[in-house]
Amino acid sequence: MNGAMVAAPGGVQQAITDLLRRGLDEKVLNAVLVPARVPAGDSFAWLLVRDSSVLEETQPLPPVMSVQGARAISRYARGGVSGKVAAVLRPCEVRATVELAKLRQVELDGLLLVSMDCPGALPLKTYLDDPQQGDADFEKLLSGDETVAREVCKTCHLFSRPVSDLHFATLGADNGQASIVAGSEQGRLLLDTLRIAEKSSLDAWERAVAERQEQRKQARTQAQAAFRQDIAGPDKLLETLSQCLNCHVCRSVCPICYCRQCYFESQALLMPPDNTLARARRKGGMRLPTDTLLFHLGRMAHMSLSCVSCGACEDACPSSIPVARMFSLVGDATQKQFDYTAGRSVTEPLPTITYKEDELSDLVAPYFETYSGRETAS
Amino acid sequence: MTNGFEPKILYILCSWCGTGGAETASAHGLRYPENVRTYRVNCTGSLPAVHVLRALVEGADGVAVSGCHPGDCHYESGNYHARRRLANLKTILGTLGLGDDRLWFRFVAHGEGRRFVDTAAEFSDHITQMGPNPLTARRDT
Ligand code: SF4
Ligand code: SF4
Ligand code: SF4
Repeated sequence: MNGAMVAAPGGVQQAITDLLRRGLDEKVLNAVLVPARVPAGDSFAWLLVRDSSVLEETQPLPPVMSVQGARAISRYARGGVSGKVAAVLRPCEVRATVELAKLRQVELDGLLLVSMDCPGALPLKTYLDDPQQGDADFEKLLSGDETVAREVCKTCHLFSRPVSDLHFATLGADNGQASIVAGSEQGRLLLDTLRIAEKSSLDAWERAVAERQEQRKQARTQAQAAFRQDIAGPDKLLETLSQCLNCHVCRSVCPICYCRQCYFESQALLMPPDNTLARARRKGGMRLPTDTLLFHLGRMAHMSLSCVSCGACEDACPSSIPVARMFSLVGDATQKQFDYTAGRSVTEPLPTITYKEDELSDLVAPYFETYSGRETAS
Repeated sequence: MTNGFEPKILYILCSWCGTGGAETASAHGLRYPENVRTYRVNCTGSLPAVHVLRALVEGADGVAVSGCHPGDCHYESGNYHARRRLANLKTILGTLGLGDDRLWFRFVAHGEGRRFVDTAAEFSDHITQMGPNPLTARRDT
């Protein structure tokens, strides 16, 4: 397989910006959606850029994920975009965008998804506490020191090559170089139009990606097993959630939780006072607001099949609850049972909208013969 | 079979086959344990996951669900979707160590009165053996 070798003397950020600039200047792209440092300098936000001169302010690969990219896209491209718009996303943001497309919250037509080998992101809180230190930490992360990364990033095995149209490959490349990999006809066409030839071999990159993927898979299995030990069972789970404020911020930042009226924000769980009193009587007391555990379990039931393990929920949680680790532990398990991986493919149907007539036989409680238990006595 | 504990069981039935099974049972004078409370939904495919979870967090020691056999669904595929949804719920409960065994799914046809009472009794005994659901007693859910 071949890619287009490009110079990236200032790192991959520079290479991505160069491509975007050419795209805008040569009017192949109508606009680009890309992260940019906020004017105050202490965080990052998404910017929809039409004028290539503004690209100087942008940072295609920021140290943190302040807003999940798919969420930014879904607020803009639900009804489709006009012209051609490139969006620069981390791989987990691409996967969330793909899930949202399947959930009909994003129209992919006209969007050109651009991704890169992801070094990971820093925990948002640490960065916001000290942006200068954060920028220094991100340099470390870019040079391969993973200790500063978010927990979900340390065990992310899908850090490269999502189903994007163009992917910037840097793993295994010499310093100051990157390769652009076309992942679709659309991506190839853009390279053609900009007269960028795909002539260099990607072998070294493919090897490097496969190797890191293997390491990360192992790390993920180990970390998840240890994490499960820490949180599984009613006592430990409720202990893990004991500081939860029931604020639902984890839900509101989640790219997958798109519902305009979330069940858990609705009146559905607002019971008449006597009902809550009855619950309090049964248990001797009742924590208010109610239904903290139910909120998390219910959210898992609703969206864990599409959870892309992006960590946005955990980044945002004011109580530092390991929400993303909980959700990705559960998401990996629920997705595995249907041989599904969230965001892996645009055409693979969501497990909730399809079924096989012959499946899940383990789940159905077997009934062999007449049960001769208690009912015969009456 | 008792250990001094009578579980609270919720038995969710679709209004076609599951409920039909219960009607056939009653026509034949078959009885099932009184601690099993039946709850009728139009189709198991329309059963919200949150209802099952809420029961398991707030009061039930076990939840059983019965709908039409494969190929028999009144709405063609509701039972297949229900099976997926319940598999999903069981995986969530199992992964978090909350007892996926407290949730059962079994097909029951309209004419299967015996199978209906057997399921109610067998599930009730199974939950009796498991003991009380620890979540329902927690004040901090
Ligand atoms: S989870 Fe982390 S490492 Fe993986 S793609 Fe997202 S930001 Fe990158
Ligand atoms: S639940 Fe958390 S980790 Fe999963 S997609 Fe939503 S924000 Fe990302
Ligand atoms: S887990 Fe965190 S963000 Fe989510 S509701 Fe609880 S306190 Fe809020």
